[in-house]
Order: sequence, then C-alpha cells, then structure tokens
Amino acid sequence: MYADKLSKQVTSGERSLTILHDLSLNVAAGESVAILGKSGAGKSTLLGLLAGLDTPSDGELTLFGQALSRLDEDGRAALRAGRVGFVFQNFQLLPTLSALENVMLPLELSPRAGETQTAAQWLERVGLGERVDHLPKQLSGGEQQRVAVARAFVTDPELVFADEPTGNLDPDTGAQVIDLLFTLNREAGTTLILVTHDHALARRCDRCLRLDHGKLEPFEPAALNAEESQ
Amino acid sequence: MSDVNWRLAMRSLKRDLRAADVRALFMALVLAVAASTMIAFFLDRLERGLERQAGQMLGGDLVLEQRDPFSDELRATLRDAGFTLSDQIDLVSMISRGDRFQPASLKAVDDVYPHYGTSYVDFGDGTEQVASGPPPGEAWADPRLIELIEIELGDQVQVGQTELTVTGIIEREADQSSGFGSFNPRLMLNTADIDATGLVQEGSRVEFEILAAGPPAALDEVQALLAELRREGVEVRDVRVDRPQLGNALQRAESYLGLAGLAAVLLAGVAVAMSTRRYVERHLDTAALLRCFGASQRQLVTIFSLQLIGLALVASTIGALLGLIGQALLIWLLVSFLPMTLPPPGLMPLGLGVFTALAVLVGFAGPTLLRIKQVSALKVLRRELDPLPPSAWLVVGVAGVVFGGLLWLYSGSLPLAIALLIGGALLLGLLWVISALLLSGLLRVVKRFSGRSEWSQALRLGGRQLARRRQAGLGQLLAFSVTFFAMAMIVLVRGDLLTTWQDQLPDNTPNYFAINIQPSERDAFEAAISPRVETQSTLYPMVRGRIVAINDQSPRDAVPPDARGDNSLRRELNLTWQAELPEGNEVVAGEWFSAEQSGDEESQGWMSAVESTPQQTTQQTAPVPISVEDGLAERLGLSIGDEMTFSVGSDEITTQITSLRSLNWDSFRPNFFVIFPPGVLEQFGHSYITAFHLPEAEDGLIRELISDFPGVSLLNVDAILGQVRDVLTQVTRAVELVLALVLLAGVSVLYAALTASRPVRAHESGLLRVFGAGSRMISRVQGAEYALLGFASGLMGAVLAELATAALYIYLLDLAPRFHLGLWVLLPVGGALLIGVIGHALSRGLRRQAPAASLGLLGEA
Repeated sequence: MYADKLSKQVTSGERSLTILHDLSLNVAAGESVAILGKSGAGKSTLLGLLAGLDTPSDGELTLFGQALSRLDEDGRAALRAGRVGFVFQNFQLLPTLSALENVMLPLELSPRAGETQTAAQWLERVGLGERVDHLPKQLSGGEQQRVAVARAFVTDPELVFADEPTGNLDPDTGAQVIDLLFTLNREAGTTLILVTHDHALARRCDRCLRLDHGKLEPFEPAALNAEESQ
Repeated sequence: MSDVNWRLAMRSLKRDLRAADVRALFMALVLAVAASTMIAFFLDRLERGLERQAGQMLGGDLVLEQRDPFSDELRATLRDAGFTLSDQIDLVSMISRGDRFQPASLKAVDDVYPHYGTSYVDFGDGTEQVASGPPPGEAWADPRLIELIEIELGDQVQVGQTELTVTGIIEREADQSSGFGSFNPRLMLNTADIDATGLVQEGSRVEFEILAAGPPAALDEVQALLAELRREGVEVRDVRVDRPQLGNALQRAESYLGLAGLAAVLLAGVAVAMSTRRYVERHLDTAALLRCFGASQRQLVTIFSLQLIGLALVASTIGALLGLIGQALLIWLLVSFLPMTLPPPGLMPLGLGVFTALAVLVGFAGPTLLRIKQVSALKVLRRELDPLPPSAWLVVGVAGVVFGGLLWLYSGSLPLAIALLIGGALLLGLLWVISALLLSGLLRVVKRFSGRSEWSQALRLGGRQLARRRQAGLGQLLAFSVTFFAMAMIVLVRGDLLTTWQDQLPDNTPNYFAINIQPSERDAFEAAISPRVETQSTLYPMVRGRIVAINDQSPRDAVPPDARGDNSLRRELNLTWQAELPEGNEVVAGEWFSAEQSGDEESQGWMSAVESTPQQTTQQTAPVPISVEDGLAERLGLSIGDEMTFSVGSDEITTQITSLRSLNWDSFRPNFFVIFPPGVLEQFGHSYITAFHLPEAEDGLIRELISDFPGVSLLNVDAILGQVRDVLTQVTRAVELVLALVLLAGVSVLYAALTASRPVRAHESGLLRVFGAGSRMISRVQGAEYALLGFASGLMGAVLAELATAALYIYLLDLAPRFHLGLWVLLPVGGALLIGVIGHALSRGLRRQAPAASLGLLGEA
C-alpha cells in the first residue's frame, strides 16, 4: 500500500478545516504499522482514507497496486472484498446475528465452499468454539471483540485495519485480544495497520508513526517508552 | 453474483423474522392482499351472479323481439357466436270454455324453455318447480284465468281453432320478462300448437322472440349485429344493460366494498411505510458493514429489495389464500341469492392481489429503501454518519402516485383517480398545517396544567416529550389521523348505507299492485281496501298512448339509431295525470306544472291541442306541457322544449316537455314515464292503478277482491320484495366482514407506528430512570404521551371523516350528507384510549429493562 501526499479538508459552514496535509506513507506486505495520535488528531480519518472508505481531497492512494482515485465507490468496495479485514473499537457486530453469522457475513459476499465450517473454525481459533450460537448481547466485551477479530481474518485477507481495538476493553481483556490479533497476524502473514493511542499495543508493531497536525512522523520505541513513563 | 445476493437476502430475512418491524411489515402486506383479493374475487363473482340473475329475469342473456318471424340466417349467426336459442311467441287472443270468453295473453314456448331458473306450477298436488314449458296439446293458466273462466285442471279450453287441455296452474314464470306489459291473464302453451290455433296470420298482432343464452364472449361478438338490429327496429334486450331492479342497492354495496378495499390497502400502505422506515434504520449498520466488506451500492439495494420482495411474495401468497377463504365466506353468506352454479374463482383477482402487494411495497417502501444505497462505509468508523432520510415529499409523492394508480385500476376511472389524488394531496398539505397547529395548541394547554398530582405531572412531562420530538410526533399524528379517518369513514358509511336501505324498503312497502280498476269501481275499491291495508299509494289514472311523432318527425327518425327498437316506441305507454309531483319523484330539469297549468282548466290554450283528427291540429294551439322520466329522455335523446305527439284512442295530442324527473324504480310504487297535467286525458278511457301493503293477517281480502272486482288484476310482488330484502341482508353481512378487515388494517398501522418509535422511547425511559424516575412515573408519562397523541389524532380524524363522508355521499353513493355528532366525541376519546393502551402495552417490556440496556438499545435491535 502506498499513500502519496494525501490531504483531507472538511468544510463546515464557511470554515474549512485541514485534517491531513501532504501525508505520505508506504506499507510493505506483511508489515505491521501502528499509527498513534491524540484524540481528534485525525487517526480515524486517515484509517478511512487508507481503507478506501473515504476519498482524499488531494493526493493518491495505491492499494494492491491499484490507484484508488481511478475507482468509484463501488470499485473501491470491490477491491476490498475478501482482501481487507477490519477490527473496530465498538466491535460493530450486528445485534440480530449470532456469533457464527457475524463471522460468516464477509464470506457471504464472496462465496466459497464450506462457509459455515470456515467461520466455525475461526471462532474455535479465537476460543469461542462453544459460543457460536450466542447473540452479541450474550457475550462480554472481550468476547465480542474476539468475534470481530475472527471476522476480520475469516476471508484470509492480505490487509487488516484495526481501529482502537482495545479502546472499549479493560487492560487485561485488551491484552488478551491484542495477543490474539498479533498471533493470527503473524500466522497468516497479513499486513496490519493499527490506529491506537495505547502505547503498549503500538510497541508490538514493526513500525510506529505519530499523527500530529496532519502529518505523520516516525517514532522510536525508546521515545514511546519515555512518553509512556511521563 | 445474483445467486449470492439472493442467498444473502434470504438468510438475513430468516434472521430478521424475529424483528418487530418486519412482522409489522409482513402483517400489513398480508392484510392489503387479503382485502384486495377478497373484494376482487367477490365483486368478480357478484358481477357474474348479477348477470346470471338478469339473464333469468329476461329469459336469456340476449332477447330479440319483433313483429315478424326471425330469419334462419340470423339464427345461424347467433348459434355460431355460441348461443343456445329458444323461440317464443307472444300474442293476445280470446279464449273460451263453454260460454265463458276471456281475452288472454298467450305465451308459446318451445322445448328449450327456460334457459335459466324454474317455473312454479301447480299440477294438482301443490306447487312444483318445473324447468320446462307445457308439452304439445297442453296449456298452463294463471290463477286469474282459472278464476275468470272457471277452469278445473284437466278441462279443455278453446284457443283459436284448436283445443288445449289445461294441466297446470302457473304461479310464477321462470322468466319475468313480460312484467306488467300485459294486463290480460296468462295462458302458456307449446309453440308446436301455434299453427293449429291459426292465430298467427298476416296482420295479426304477434311478437316473435328469440331468447338466447351464451357466455359474455358471445355477447361481445354480436354487438355490431345488435346495433344493426336496433337500427332496423328490433327490440334488443341485453343482460348487461337490462339489469334487474335490485341494481341500486347492489351498486352501492359494490362501491362500498371497493372503497373499503382501497381503505384497507391505503392503511396497509401507511403501515408498510412506517415499518420500512424502522427496518431501514435498523439495517444501516449492516449496510455500512457490508460496504466495508466490499459490497457495491447496487448489491446493497438488490439484497434489501430481494428481502422485501421475498417477504412480499410470502405475504401475498398467504394474503391471497386468506382472500380466497374470505371470498368463499362471502359467497357462503350470499349463497341463497347467487345462482347455484358459479364458475370457479378466476385467476385475475389473484394476480391483482400479488400486484397490489408489490405496488404497495414499491410505492410506500421504495424511496425509504433507497436510503440504504446512500450508506457510507465510513459509518463503521463514525456512527453519526447516517444518510439523510428521504424527503417527506418524495415519500408521500411516490406513495401517492402508486396509490393513484391502484385507484385507477380498481375504479376503472382515470379522472376519478386523479381527482381523488389531487384532493388527497391538498388535504395532506392542509392536514400537515392543521396538525402542527393542533399539536402546538394542545401542548400549550398541557403546559398550563399546574396540578401537583402525579397525573398532571405525567401529562406535563408527556407533553414535553411530545414537543421535543415535534417532527416525529407530527408524522405519527398524521398516520394515526389517516387511520382513524379511514376506520371512521368505513364505519359511518356502512351505518348510513344500512339505514338508507332499511328506509328504502320499510316493513310496510307495498306488496300488491292492483291494475285495471275502472273509474266506476274506483271509490268502491278504495273503500274495500283502505281499512284493511297498511300503506297505499295514490290511485293513479292510467291511459294507454303511443308515441307517434317527436318534433314533427317519425319517432324512428327522431331518436338516436340505437334507440329505434326501444320498448317505448314499440308499445303503448302508460300515461297518467297528476297535479302534484308524485312521491319519490324529483324534478331534475325544467319545472313541474304550475298551479295555473294544472288548476284552472278552462283558461288553458293547450286544451285545444286535443283534436279529433290529426289533420286539424293547428300551429296556433299551444302544446300540452308534460313531464318525462330522465332515463327515457336520455335513451330517446329528448330534452326540455322537445315536442312529442301521442296517439290516444283515435286522437293525437301534441305535447311539449317542460320537466324531466328522476324516480326511484326500486320503490315498489306505480311509476310513470310520462305525466300530463290534469284536464287533458280525462276524456279518454282510463283505468286506475295503485299499490298497497297487505298484512298477512288480511290475506282473505284478496279472494274478496277477486270475486267483487273480477276485472281488477292483482299482482303479488312479495316474492320479488323478499328477494330484494334477502339481498340487502346478505350484502350487509358481506359489508360487515369487509369492515372487520379494514379495522384490522387500522390496528396494523398503529402497531407498526408504535413499533417504529420503540427505541426512541426506550432511550427516553432509560434516561428518566437514570434521573431517578420510578416505573410508575415512567409508565404514566408514556401513557400520557400516547394518550395526547391519540386524542389529537382522533380529533383530526373526525374532521377528515366528516368532510370526506359528506363528499362521498354527494358524489359517489348518491345519498344526502348527515352530521355525525358522536364522531367528534368518540374518535378523540377512543383515540386517546386506544393509542394509550396499545402504546403502553408495547413499551411495558422496555420499562422493566435496566437503564443501561435501554440506553444501549438506541440505534440497535
């Protein structure tokens, strides 16, 4: 994935606000990258752009070798299908669907044989083999996020985006989910782009970047340590 | 790919069946289809039933009549078109037994007679139903003839040059085509005996008839031929035009059923619109996730449309089945009125039902569903990014156009559909404004409640909640008022229809007609019946006259070509004279005779219009003013100011039409096409006619009348009257069944609307609880909010219903409008109670939830 001079401005009323400015980023296949930043720095906006959920005001983003600016909304969606996985801060499980059905959802869009088995196997891998028929509201927060992780990996994606995956979890549960996320990522050799303000989580990535005033700056683990101890 | 969409759609539909909005949507569609198919099935069969019955009364689906025998060529053409033919010959002739002579109306029938129904004949062992005419050599006589020439069964009577054996007393003929046309008693014989009588000769007054029975397609095929025959002066009676006299009441019932069906469809549509809104809101997250996982916009629309179409297909199948059962129930209720052998229900109404379901879905759910397409995948990151709901105008506009289309389809009249639609749109705009004003007014009143009791507090809080969600509240107010309006209207119209029907045929409706009362018998006859009968119409004088000229042209040339064979030109008409407009008549054009025209006979210039020889009729004499029935005037193309010349006896009278009257043919009273003012016809030979109601206890009177006034014909119309009453009772039951369906559709709207607003209310009650309100308080606040909403909707509904019923009565049902006081009390109070109770019950579960759960519910389940 390659981002070249991305900018994003939003206008509300007569005022124009620049969230991202001339931002470039290159992520190699199999690499894991953490993007840190304060609340309101534009992390989620950046993630939306990188995943092709939103369009930049300026600049170009290339995903899987395709320039996104040449694709329309549907074209970008088709590019994501089966190749990109997501983990969200608020889990985004559909409340009327069971754990198994939630995991099956991305599979149903690009059908292949044995959907149900595949989804069940993934639930087994995240330790929820016994809870396949439970609805989200019958699961704890940690369990819900594990379902979301299984859903992110179920299509064998090349790229997984995680938006504050531990934001709604207590530290212990968060740590378990993170362990799971990185284990699966390592086993599958997936590229991982993770947005967080959890430094411990960021430290486990190959590379850390900080979003500040619309620009990305590299961060050293040492600096992270220092920042964390403050 | 489409296979994937289908699977995805069906899978999520299966999961969705638990959701309240999907259930509401499903129920609404089932009801719309059930109502429309049931009514379509029923009307379809009723239509065919009526045609059959008309056929029975006419003696066939098509009856041709003329003075000369019909050609074999014509018979062949009719047979080729698919008709079965029966020949009949009518003539008046003297018959005798011994030294007793009596003119009789002879009716010769062939072996095919009758096409439909049975005759009631007494062969000596009580009355039997017979589906044939007398065999050759035999004759059947009516009771009057039996009485007049003192025949016993088995006696021979002389008919022309032959003798026939009277073997039966005919109580009722299978076909009643002859009506009162002939006042002579009836003798029915076989056509095989006609030659032997020697009565049919050149110049004798004989009517030849062909009675044809066949399917509607056969009738369609010969329409051009019929027009040609009419121009040649053949009298053509067509089952579709010459309906039995039950027409009016049933036509109203048909209008009512059609209206009720549309009301059910409209209500179901509103329910569909409300449930779809909730459905779409609930699926925005799913849609955003699917976008995230790579679904295209088109795929989203396809998946959710497929889901709804799947739902609609299942719903319409169930609805159509219910409709089939419902129409079977309707037919069962009406079975004694409908002919026994009805063709099976056609496929057309079934198709109509499914089409209705899909149309309702597209019209009422379409624009809302398209909102799904606009969902941005970014919503998964930023929850607040909901696509804007479609503009209310778009939703109402599309629904309006589709509903207008359905109106057109069901009513068959485009101008009516457009008028209703434009009226509806204006009404809706007006309604929106009035609702807004009403709601603010009501909320202002509630705000002033200063009581410290829990109830005033609840009302204040409930009012405030309603005020906070003004737009949503207005939407619900509108939906509820339309619901109450439709429900109220269907109930009101039903009540008024029934009252009108009952008024139309009260218990003392005349059941006997007395004809041929001579002027010398008039006073004695009146004295004989007056003390013993319940109602009696005026004794109308009656003079027979023939139309010989219209505006100085021969009638055949003066009337439209199609009317050349009209009964009124071929036969003598019954003319009467009256100073006052008869009861049940209404002048629709021109003016009734002034006192001057009908009072002071001496001063009238038109007296001289009656001349003993036509040659002496001169221009300077003013024509006699007359009043003509509007139906006849329309058929013959007559209007005010036209001149008509009648031959009465050996004289001719020139008249001018000064008024047109509409009259109620269903009234069971003597009715006249042409009425003269007093002072003209008195000089001609005339007899009197009257109608009266004879109570059962006074049955003996008839025998006395027959022996005291042998010349007077008495016609018993109890059977026809009973038939009309039966039809009214049964149609009433049918109307009630349909009414129940409409009310059910109304409840489905309430259910859908309240389901749709559940999460918002859950959120509010959660908040109230967080702030420390107890269950009782929350329950009362919610109850008060619903009750306020119900009250306002009821009030609006009452306004609408009153206006709409008035319009309906005037334009569609042809009744005088009435004011309904009860409505203004019942609807607001009933509305407050109904919405209060249903809403309260639906949110019971919510109040029991912990605040965390109900707060979390917003935007989810």
